[in-house]
Amino acid sequence: MKAFQKGYVVAILLAVLTIVEYIFAVNFDNELVKFVGLSAAALAKVGMIGAYFMHFMRIFKTEEAH
Amino acid sequence: MWALRTLSGGLGMGLLFFYIGIGLTAVLRNWFGYPEVWDRDFNVTIGYVFGLLGWVMGMGMWGSWGREWFGLRTHSYYIRGWQRYFTWSTDHKVIGVQYLATFTIVFLLAGLMAMLMRLELATSGLQFFDKSQYNTILGLHGILMIAVAVAAVVGGFGNYFVPLLIGADDMAFPRLNALSFWLIPPVALMLLITPFMGGLEVGWTAYPPLSVQTQTAQGFWNLAIVTFGLSSILSGLNFVVTIIYMRAPGMTWSRLPMFVWSMFVTAWLALFYTQGFAVALLMVTLDRIAGMGFFNADDGGDPLLYQHVFWFYSHPAVYIMILPGLGIALEIIGHFSGKPLFAYRYAVGAFLGILGLSGVVWAHHMFTSGIPNYLHGPFLVMTELISIPTGLIFLSALGTIWMGKLRLTAPMLFALAVIFNFANGGVTGIFLADVPTDIHLQDTYFVVAHFHYTIVGGEIFAMFAAMYYWFPKMTGRMYNMKLAKLHFWWMFIGFNVTFMTMYWPGIQGMNRRIADFPAAMDGINFFISLASFGLGAGFLVFVGNMVYALFWGPAAEANPWGARTLEWQTSSPPPLENFDEPPMVTGHPYDYGLPDAPAHARFGPGLPAGTPAGGGGGGGG
Amino acid sequence: MAVAATAAAHAHGHAHNRLQLNRVGLWLFFFSESIVFGLLLTSRFFLMGVDREHVDQQLGLIITIILLLSSVTAFTAETAIEQDRRRLASWMLLATILLGVIFTVGVGFEWSIAEFNRKEVFGTVFFTMTGIHATHVVTGVIMLFLVWVQLKRGKFSSRDHFAVSGTVMYWHFVDVVWVFYYPALYLIGNVVTPGQ
Repeated sequence: MKAFQKGYVVAILLAVLTIVEYIFAVNFDNELVKFVGLSAAALAKVGMIGAYFMHFMRIFKTEEAH
Repeated sequence: MWALRTLSGGLGMGLLFFYIGIGLTAVLRNWFGYPEVWDRDFNVTIGYVFGLLGWVMGMGMWGSWGREWFGLRTHSYYIRGWQRYFTWSTDHKVIGVQYLATFTIVFLLAGLMAMLMRLELATSGLQFFDKSQYNTILGLHGILMIAVAVAAVVGGFGNYFVPLLIGADDMAFPRLNALSFWLIPPVALMLLITPFMGGLEVGWTAYPPLSVQTQTAQGFWNLAIVTFGLSSILSGLNFVVTIIYMRAPGMTWSRLPMFVWSMFVTAWLALFYTQGFAVALLMVTLDRIAGMGFFNADDGGDPLLYQHVFWFYSHPAVYIMILPGLGIALEIIGHFSGKPLFAYRYAVGAFLGILGLSGVVWAHHMFTSGIPNYLHGPFLVMTELISIPTGLIFLSALGTIWMGKLRLTAPMLFALAVIFNFANGGVTGIFLADVPTDIHLQDTYFVVAHFHYTIVGGEIFAMFAAMYYWFPKMTGRMYNMKLAKLHFWWMFIGFNVTFMTMYWPGIQGMNRRIADFPAAMDGINFFISLASFGLGAGFLVFVGNMVYALFWGPAAEANPWGARTLEWQTSSPPPLENFDEPPMVTGHPYDYGLPDAPAHARFGPGLPAGTPAGGGGGGGG
Repeated sequence: MAVAATAAAHAHGHAHNRLQLNRVGLWLFFFSESIVFGLLLTSRFFLMGVDREHVDQQLGLIITIILLLSSVTAFTAETAIEQDRRRLASWMLLATILLGVIFTVGVGFEWSIAEFNRKEVFGTVFFTMTGIHATHVVTGVIMLFLVWVQLKRGKFSSRDHFAVSGTVMYWHFVDVVWVFYYPALYLIGNVVTPGQ
């Protein structure tokens, strides 16, 4: 179950970030602030997806050979 | 008849899918209410995508790979004899030979086109071709030679010898390797039919807006290049994984032969940058067939975007071409100098430095294109910084030659010529990297001479060095060394006379890419044409020598050169699994003339104590 | 008979860690693909700065959430097969396929209501970027479907499921692309109407 839970926590974080992105973008006018904020949010999301959904660290694992 | 069966399968499926594709497109166009169901570029593009899929599937991808996607049993066969070269073979040695044979033919064809161009340029005025015919020949010569330079050494010698040099039994992804090769014939087909489909008029760079507006066979050309890029990316991926993970036990990074190092860097470049060419031409294709406006300045597009994206690939591409050449030169100089390779670590560092710098210099091709002035300085400096790692490679080569006991065989002569020619090309490059001189020299024959010195003088000479060096290993036969040396001197002198002279009209401002020139330059152009015909004739010696040796040459020993590296420690040609017993690397590849240096490798089970692990940090073996 | 099976000939070919090679190869493929997407993204900023034209914000948010949901189902499918829970994996693959199809339909609907045409520069950028992304979504749906068929035929287990993980990784990669494309096309900068 633990493996599932970790993924769902990440998914909730992603959803929250997405909504925050949206509200932030709709309500702010400053182009520079928007650019920096949205880029930071996107990078954070990609980091989470890469680490927890795509399991980046598994490429360094060797012991699973059959 | 396996060859016939496979080829007819590939051609049949390819044509079938092609016609299904264009038919489907016509139906859809009708359905979506287009006024005409047939638009050549549009229908052929979709049909080509279908046809390409049918071709590779019919060639054998379906049987060995595609069935797996549907949960069916796959089958792979090993075919002996000459027919395996015409089938979906996953053996890296077969694929290497397929690449080499294909690109040798393409090289000779494109060379013939260079002869035709020089024929036209022998005197001013138009004698043999009209301007659009000349443009077609020019564009085809350019792109075919680019293809040769990108893929002949990487695909040919890289495929054949990287696994051998690192002690692996094959590439990491053999089926992907076969796919990379079998994507090439459609590329060749699409390029070679362009003269009959309206010709080309944009040269190999295909700058918009002309490439968007032209009514010639530009669409075919775009498809060919995107496919070629795909093939190049896939083989780059394969090399990266192979070199990281398939090394034999004991083959540490500091024992890797120079050619493998250069291929490693090249593979990263191909994997990282080739998309630029494909994306640039995808944009041109979309502008052409879907009416989009990337390069349409009327609606906010910008033709300069193309040049940025295009040169983002095409400048690193020259390193994709030249680095394996320099790797081969260092490899051969290392084996024929009778002493250890000088400054091995610096040379490796140089390759890595070029990998890092190559991506930040592209706009030096665009100094006269109207880029903002503030970009001139940074790109000038970055471009000239590249001469530092390049200089380290010269350091390694010259330090190895210095006081060495040189064995001047044909491969060694070619390798030495690489160093000589590339130095010339590098020095003249400085004038093109400097903005003030470049503004004068841009698009003149100075540029033509410069890049022929780097690419032909650097890489093509290295390709011949490798051919003469590895021919006995690949075919098991020996060529005539006297004829090989004759070919060397003929090509070396012919090449230098042709292109050294070409700097002169360039400095005078003679434009490249144009069928005609002012009558005042008649004399020097006539001389260049004569010299280039001489250069071209020299390849007859090469072809004759190779064809004779292939069928009637004396049998070659396993190690005719007395070289230390792994590929010479197995039979000529190597068996299917490369080594009868698994190799273990115990020493440096270039420790010549050192009395107590351990052998580069030994064979058989059981590691000697203290052998470092090979690929994959512990997998290996 | 000049034919022999390759398996016997490549005697010591299986000693390498095939799973690790496949994973690294797949990551390098993503790396290489991300250059394609990155170049298109850069072209968007090169051509227009951060300006954009009006797009339907609600629709954009909805399809983004759908893609995120499909990521969750794909993740569940992969984790399920790792624990040999085949029934759950099968349903989750189907859910992912369904969400992928809904996403594609959403993009198609977006195209049909777009207030710009493909000749002008924002249209060019928008249709190309969403189009090439949607192409990848469709490819992913096809791959997921093929994996699902194999799962139904009894393939895959906790020990051998690279086809499932690889396809799911590809699906997440397509999601990663959208993580950049969504703000770049819908949120960044301020609305500029052409001609002003």
